[in-house]
Amino acid sequence: MILIHCPYCEEDRPEVEFTYGGEAHIARPLDPSALTDSEWEGYLYIRSNTRGLHAERWRHAHGCARFFNAVRDTVSDRFEVTYKTGEARPAKITQTGGAA
Amino acid sequence: MIEIAPLAIGATDLATGTAPHTGAVNGLSVSLSPAEPRVRLSLRAKDVGVLSAALGRALPERIGTQLDGIARLGPDEWHALLPEGSPVPAVSGQPLSVVDVTARSVGFTVEGPGAVAALIRGCPLDLANFAPGRATRTVFETVEIQLWAMAPDRFHVEVWRSFAPWLWHSIADGIV
Repeated sequence: MILIHCPYCEEDRPEVEFTYGGEAHIARPLDPSALTDSEWEGYLYIRSNTRGLHAERWRHAHGCARFFNAVRDTVSDRFEVTYKTGEARPAKITQTGGAA
Repeated sequence: MIEIAPLAIGATDLATGTAPHTGAVNGLSVSLSPAEPRVRLSLRAKDVGVLSAALGRALPERIGTQLDGIARLGPDEWHALLPEGSPVPAVSGQPLSVVDVTARSVGFTVEGPGAVAALIRGCPLDLANFAPGRATRTVFETVEIQLWAMAPDRFHVEVWRSFAPWLWHSIADGIV
């Protein structure tokens, strides 16, 4: 069982309390009708699919019920850091485990 | 014509127990019993000060703790378990929400030296460090519950009404 640190509850909680919410930091365009079809497609569907450190949304569904962001290594499944919604992705995160 | 088999469970399996279920887990005695009726309130506010002033009482500050029958579940969410007959505070016109959700849930009490052992079968929280004063939403097996630590060997479990029979039997199954 993976323990995930919830930045709102400020403690490590079991993985089964959480749900995954896709890639983080994807801002909805302020004026969708001004976008071309391909730009809209990019917003809706195109994701980075990172191998390695990936910023993604999680929700503490069976806890405080809040969305927050996490940087997780998609290779090792290690959570490097979690932070509250609205905060910028931490600038320097170095990989600490797993195959590069 | 398709034969439909009769249900393989009895009516008692579709209801919570009304009397305490007692036994032991790992040799430690524990009892599971229905909790007394309570008034339940769902409290929502962005500003804890506004809610605290409207209710005229202090609220728990840290998420995952309780104070005098109110637990802080999240940054803007509290849940109150008050004695039966408590009035619902009138707080209209303010930037907060107080909703009577008394009928939404039922409560169980898990009590005894084996209480932690009985709950840890289905609850993935670190219950060895879940001291009295803590209260949080979590899961038991696949059911969402609220777990309130009332004393070192006494826990209050809140569960949505429709999940209650399943949860009752799930906890009771481990108490032999």
